[in-house]
Amino acid sequence: MATSTTEAPTRHSITATRPLLGWRTVDILTIAFLGAAFGVAFWGWGIFYNGPITALKIGYAPLMGLFTGPWLLAGVVGGLVVRRPGAALFCEVVAALVSMLPGTEWGATVLVSGIAQGLGAEIAFALLGYRFFGVGAAALAGVLSTPLEWLFETVKFPASWSGPPVLGILADGGGWYAEWGIGDKLAYLATMAVSGVVLAGILGWLLTRALARAGALSAFPPGQELRESHAV
Amino acid sequence: MVGTRGRVEVSGLTWRPFGRREPVLRGVDLTLEPGERVLLVGPSGSGKSTLLRALTGLLGSVEAGELGGAVTLDGAAPGSRPGAVGLVLQEPGAGVVAATVGRDVAFGLENTGVERSAMPGRVAAALRAVELGDLPLDTPTSALSGGQTQRLALAGTLALDPALILLDEPTAMLDPGCAAEVREAVAALTADKGPDAARTLVVVEHVLGPWLELVDRLVVLSSDGEVVADGPVHDVLAERREELLAMGLWVPGAPAPEPLAVDATLLDPAHLDPTRSTMAAAPFSVERTTRRLDGTTRTERAAALDDALDARPGTLTALVGPSGAGKSTLLSALAGFLTSTPADAVRVGADPGSADPASLDARTLAGAVAWVPQWASSTMVARTVLDEVLVTARALGRDDTAEVPRARALLGALGLSHLERADPRELSGGEQRRLAVAAALHHGPPVLLADEPTVGQDRHTWAAVVGLVAAYRRAGGAVVAATHDAAVVARAEVVHQVTAPTRPAALPPARSPLVARCGPLALLTGALLGIPAGVLSPHWSTSLAVLTVQVVLAVVGLSAPGAGAPPAGRLRTVALRTAPGLLAALSVGWSTWWLAGHDVDAALTVSLRVLVIVVPSAVLVPWVDPDRLGDHLAQRLGLPDRPVVAVAAALQRVHTFGAVWSEIGRARRVRGLGVSARHPATVLAHVSALTMGLLVRTLRAAAELAVAMDARGFATAQRRSWWAPAPWRARDTLLVALAALPLVAAVTVR
Repeated sequence: MATSTTEAPTRHSITATRPLLGWRTVDILTIAFLGAAFGVAFWGWGIFYNGPITALKIGYAPLMGLFTGPWLLAGVVGGLVVRRPGAALFCEVVAALVSMLPGTEWGATVLVSGIAQGLGAEIAFALLGYRFFGVGAAALAGVLSTPLEWLFETVKFPASWSGPPVLGILADGGGWYAEWGIGDKLAYLATMAVSGVVLAGILGWLLTRALARAGALSAFPPGQELRESHAV
Repeated sequence: MVGTRGRVEVSGLTWRPFGRREPVLRGVDLTLEPGERVLLVGPSGSGKSTLLRALTGLLGSVEAGELGGAVTLDGAAPGSRPGAVGLVLQEPGAGVVAATVGRDVAFGLENTGVERSAMPGRVAAALRAVELGDLPLDTPTSALSGGQTQRLALAGTLALDPALILLDEPTAMLDPGCAAEVREAVAALTADKGPDAARTLVVVEHVLGPWLELVDRLVVLSSDGEVVADGPVHDVLAERREELLAMGLWVPGAPAPEPLAVDATLLDPAHLDPTRSTMAAAPFSVERTTRRLDGTTRTERAAALDDALDARPGTLTALVGPSGAGKSTLLSALAGFLTSTPADAVRVGADPGSADPASLDARTLAGAVAWVPQWASSTMVARTVLDEVLVTARALGRDDTAEVPRARALLGALGLSHLERADPRELSGGEQRRLAVAAALHHGPPVLLADEPTVGQDRHTWAAVVGLVAAYRRAGGAVVAATHDAAVVARAEVVHQVTAPTRPAALPPARSPLVARCGPLALLTGALLGIPAGVLSPHWSTSLAVLTVQVVLAVVGLSAPGAGAPPAGRLRTVALRTAPGLLAALSVGWSTWWLAGHDVDAALTVSLRVLVIVVPSAVLVPWVDPDRLGDHLAQRLGLPDRPVVAVAAALQRVHTFGAVWSEIGRARRVRGLGVSARHPATVLAHVSALTMGLLVRTLRAAAELAVAMDARGFATAQRRSWWAPAPWRARDTLLVALAALPLVAAVTVR
């Protein structure tokens, strides 16, 4: 087969085989295994992670948002590797499930966080029509992984809701950081977003490329992109 | 002996994976008659495994490439009937799908929608056919030996009544005893030659001798991927003997290959002192504590060294014994990766001044000991072959100008010069094995610990590894090797027989806590109900009331009425899981106090909110059984079958991922790549290397398993049946109702 080398490189990424929803067995298993491996890695990182985070909580707590990126990697990498609708969400949820079973400091909420984060990354890939998977797309997926999670952690239902019959039960309830001032909450969103772009998006893109170079993605579009860039 | 099915026709089969210039298979024509038993051989890299994948109809399912020609089984595409082609992979466990034996064999039946009531009979028959009929169906697949695991894989294919069975080096990773078991099972299958029961068999192997009586025909592939010989097995063997030997195949009757001549000065004797003892160990044992997914732990004796060991310069000490006796575990303890009992039994370095290897920092350890694990590929630490050899010398701060030429010469002696700039992970298994030994020895460590250095290797790699180790001994190195290889044992000065420690009899099952008698969905729902209960608590006074209800419920739920021994470790499990939550509560409370104007009320509110959310998880989640979770998610919640099965398969391998993580960590440590909290760059390098290594191994495992699962009808499993039912019982409803009480309290007490 003659591989065309005269064409200028297109801006489109190589997409998954059609139909996009036709998940192959290797797609499903790869996402499940990647998610489980990230779940295991989450524990491992926890050892290294607890130090700086605890220090920041004693100082200015919203800065800990800078360290949230790694927990968003599963969704970004899952989406970048398999490139099918649902891959990012599936991967992040499996990672959350695996890290939840042996026990984490956040209990069953990691499952909710997994959905919130994975959904964000999924929205990013969907906005791009599952056609673009470059570093920009990865950064978008990383940054969009954060707002829902931020909302979940900082939501505060107003006390004024105590009047209406249904909303009443929500009044004054909220997430972990419900009692922070709005300025601190927004600072937290900003640090999360930065971390999402750098530690989830760009790092996830680099990780995917490194996996392709290690020959681990030959069945997937990133492996194919690597081969085409090397084709002589 | 002419059967009625299992006729294979391959015509003009050509396959070139994208990214390679040359095809792996080139115009292969082959016709296999029903019931024929064929041995397929060829040099490493000749496309034998690729041809097997083509016969399953799965070529291209996990690797992209250019395919030409045609393959048919009884006139149709091989994949057209799920399970018509059975495939057993080289690595035991690569195709294991489920946590128990019965369920694993039933996997193909589930995929083809067989009624649950019909499954046990077919599963039992398949297990009997491979001589595993005595195993209870609920035996954990992780408790099987390598040989049993390979026979289990065979049983899994038999359940679907295949017309063609393909075995891809099924015994290459097994010790001689286990390998013989597998061959006996294959012999039993193929001996049954009723016209309807006949099955065509294709075996890929590079140790020919033991298979000769089991096959009729020998097909030889060349390194170019062409069929170069094909005929009755003894004729081909006689005519092509020299050619087969040159391919590196183990031909029966041929003497062991001559070890490669390696110049001992390449192994840096300047750093070896041939007059002093370098490693000594008093008798010791190794206790292994396994932490299960549910957080409980179990400690048992994993291995024992019965006689004192003294690795003197220039000697080879062999550890021999059956699989599972703990030889690898002993090597890990000798390298200081595992703690010995009594502590301090192992000493490395010259006496006086010897030290416990576990107490050494990475660089000192690397200077005292080298270690080559059985799976060399997972422990490569560098990006190029040359760098891989130089890693330790560089970590020890040696000057490249002297080290690089010696590394190059070493690679040259092993026939790896042309790969100097290649990525070590892209090498073949044999090349990786040679590289791993060279990289371990290049910096001149006084002791080499080698785990099965020759297993599964062809004659070329065998000669290279044995020659390299001989040169190292001439230079003054001491070798301790775990091995089954009689030719290696014959070269040893001292042989330690390792026997498996007797394991304490399994305790009678303890009473289970009330919560453990509930289904996984009820447990998860109960855990999740903590979230709204916490979120809806507006003030710490409410949270305190809610928390009280939760604690009362926890005490009830964890009680274990009934006969039998009380369950151990309930409180510990819950306390371990609540501890991080307490930490989180403290830190969330602190940050709120700090940021919300030193408001104690607000801080207490969020702190208790965290506890309300976390406590139900700590009490309930430990009892979720991952295997049953899959059953329930698919059958009760109606989640799509295939993703659920994939997640269940991943979950039951999570413990192996943990093992990979620590193995890579050990490989880095013994190569001198340490971690120091004072140098953040080393922490970063360590974490990224572990993550990367884990992901690569995981992705390979997923690709292997995908092939094994598709060969058992998973690709087309749109409407599966299930081996195990997923009942929702009254107790599940009760649990959910009780778990909702704190939420009710949160809404009403406010």
